[in-house]
Amino acid sequence: MKTIYLLVGALLVAGATIGAQVQTPGASPENGAGLGPMVAGTDLSGSWRPQQLVTESQTAAGDLADFGGIPLNDAARMYALSWPASRQTVKQHQCMGYVTPYFWYAPANYRIWEERDPFTQRLVSWRFYGQIAQGDRTVYMDGRPHPPAYAPHTFAGFSTGEYQGNTLTVTTTHLKRGWIKANGVPQSDATTVVEHFVRHGDNITVLAVIDDPVYLTEPLSKASMLVRMAKDPDAWLYPCDDSEQIFGRKSDVVPNHLFGQNPYAREYADRRKLPLLAALGGVETMYPELANAIRDTTAAENLAKARMMPSGPPAVSRAPDPTPKDGEIHTMRVSGEVYLLAGDGANIAVQVGPQGAFVVDTGSGKLADKVIAAIAKLSAKPIQFILNTTFRPDHTGGNAKLQMAGADPSVTGSFFSMQFQGAGLAATIISQLNTQSRMVEQKLPAPPSDTFAEDRRRKYYNGEAVEAFPMPNATTDGDSIVHFRRADVIVAGDIFTTTEYPHIDTKNGGSLQGEINALNFILDRTVYIHDEDGGTMIIPGHGRVTDEWEVAEYRDMLVIIRDRVQAMIKAGATLQQTLASRPTFDYDVRYGATSGPWTTNMFVEAVYTSLKNPPKTENAR
Amino acid sequence: MTGYWVSVVGEDWRWRAFPTRGDYGAVPLNQVARQIADTWDPAKDAAAGEACKAFAAPSVMRIPGRLHITWQDDQTLKIETDSGKQTRLFYFGNLPENKVEDLQGSSKAEWDLGNAGAGGLFFGRGGAAAGPSGSLKVVTNRMKPGYATRNGVPFSNNATLTEYYDLVKEKSGVEYLILTTTLDDPTYMSQPMWTATHFKKQGDATNFTPVSCDGK
Repeated sequence: MKTIYLLVGALLVAGATIGAQVQTPGASPENGAGLGPMVAGTDLSGSWRPQQLVTESQTAAGDLADFGGIPLNDAARMYALSWPASRQTVKQHQCMGYVTPYFWYAPANYRIWEERDPFTQRLVSWRFYGQIAQGDRTVYMDGRPHPPAYAPHTFAGFSTGEYQGNTLTVTTTHLKRGWIKANGVPQSDATTVVEHFVRHGDNITVLAVIDDPVYLTEPLSKASMLVRMAKDPDAWLYPCDDSEQIFGRKSDVVPNHLFGQNPYAREYADRRKLPLLAALGGVETMYPELANAIRDTTAAENLAKARMMPSGPPAVSRAPDPTPKDGEIHTMRVSGEVYLLAGDGANIAVQVGPQGAFVVDTGSGKLADKVIAAIAKLSAKPIQFILNTTFRPDHTGGNAKLQMAGADPSVTGSFFSMQFQGAGLAATIISQLNTQSRMVEQKLPAPPSDTFAEDRRRKYYNGEAVEAFPMPNATTDGDSIVHFRRADVIVAGDIFTTTEYPHIDTKNGGSLQGEINALNFILDRTVYIHDEDGGTMIIPGHGRVTDEWEVAEYRDMLVIIRDRVQAMIKAGATLQQTLASRPTFDYDVRYGATSGPWTTNMFVEAVYTSLKNPPKTENAR
Repeated sequence: MTGYWVSVVGEDWRWRAFPTRGDYGAVPLNQVARQIADTWDPAKDAAAGEACKAFAAPSVMRIPGRLHITWQDDQTLKIETDSGKQTRLFYFGNLPENKVEDLQGSSKAEWDLGNAGAGGLFFGRGGAAAGPSGSLKVVTNRMKPGYATRNGVPFSNNATLTEYYDLVKEKSGVEYLILTTTLDDPTYMSQPMWTATHFKKQGDATNFTPVSCDGK
């Protein structure tokens, strides 16, 4: 009996410890977090539902081309006008989550509670849970900083809060691309949302201010209200698994309206007897001055029509580049023992373990010594393998130094060592065959010595299956992706970036369709944890770490641009006419460039060229 | 709160910017009220000299426009609207005696310091000197029947309007005035009608252009 009591006691202690760990995410010294407030402001705890008019006016029940009251810019309007509701049938869209603050506009139940440090009773965080999409938000109150710009984004984002008197003010960053309204009006991943929560009796009023430099001309503010429910509803889960909605549809089909061809663009305005100009939104629709803008009905109608086609000067990306540029190498664990090293040109991925380090791409080489030092902090063992996803110098510039800093003990002592002097005394560099050829042709230093052609290359390294897949005719004819299967991290190389249009190099075998195929190949290997969040993580060639959602968005964009350019080619348009049609208009504010090594026009030219004269091997896989 | 404010129609846009007959969505009307709303005719109201029914206390703050908020005296806060040229008076002291029912009713005001108030009593001007730590609570009744929304949803003289005004300031310096309202009307509504509205602070009187209820 005494033994049983001891066992039960031990379990209780263990349980208490686990509970404390769960409840005190902010107390960990590694977070650099301080103590939260002892006395909080207004208590927001309880079960809530949205006030009726909110659900009527702001949710998925909204109409197509109903953009009034939103200070959207021309690009956002064109994005929304090219969006058909059937986009939701695409696999990766079926279970998309709700971003902040759209989170609050679902016709569903909400639960709010606080988490306090069990030892100090300080407020560590507020938790907001929404039934639809099982939105799960944590608002840290302990003063911790927001993650770096190259960290992953989620639908909930990363939130910190503070009290201004009785008002809880929450700042959220690291959001994914989501909805401002569920009729195609986008909210970009560069958005910062500030929410002010005020409670009066059984009501909470939320004023959300959406600052989106990509899609809004000024911050959008809107107030909504939650009403307390006396009884906690017993309905909190939202299971969602995606599946085929249309049998036989190819994975490179993404429903969209060509510019000027949305048959429903006027439907809402006509049915509600609104001026089209007002329905199409814009900053003037948010203020009383709207009345002046629509007074001259003919002029308003003409302006509205003009706004339904691309116009204005070329746009450049308004999203900040998340790549650190302080001359230092920044290390971040992505998953398992796979790390991102950012700061020296293209992203570098490193897997470490008892055998050594497996490095994917080596950056520009300008900070190679610091890269080597950063890897040494992760692994006492040498760099054994380097894999290049492409030949480009910003991915291979560090090859020589990293190779010489490493060693490949699998070669040392093998029959190779009898054939080649110095075999195994440096790391082995691997790549797809064409990458090696391009590097040799272009006299780039330290080309790979170990190559593969059409089939995957696989290794079991550091207790983990590692697969490299050649991606025919994507950005070049030598691209590869690497999948670390235990960590479930895919290193995408330049096939996927979060900072620019794909650098499709048609002179070196790149093609748009091969690029789309490669992205779909990645999407065939990814799995999310819940509602397009988490699971398989992606390290892009440039930019921030993502999961499959951003890859799908990137694929969607390229398919839509392909369809527009293809339609121009079919109509007999020249390259100049195609450029003049602005086929990337709604994406330029996120990915465009008018100067530098890869401009929007260069991208459109590559799209046009590779669609007119596709490489014979682009569908080889 | 004093100064000029502009309404930001980021929420409930269609209902506020382009009210149409019968488009009362989720307003909790009963059958009698629905019949009245379905026969709303603004021209008829104007002809009868009742164009201001849509600018009554429950609805005037939702109509796109600008506010000018000042202290009329130490115990009375005044809100003037440019839409409909209405004036609302919030009394921290005693309500005026023998005031007849009108569209703006009689409004009793108090500072509601909630959790942030560490005790004590606060009255009138200076009562909320602590800044954004409390709310202004205003309860209005004795209203002459009018419209709770601009499109003819009726309220009766049994209605009570409870409003909370909260100030928040963004790091950018932009100030917002958040208005939370509850309209209780046992005559026409099956449950309270809740709305949330907000305004942005203006530097001066630019574009504050009073226009009467009939648009003149």
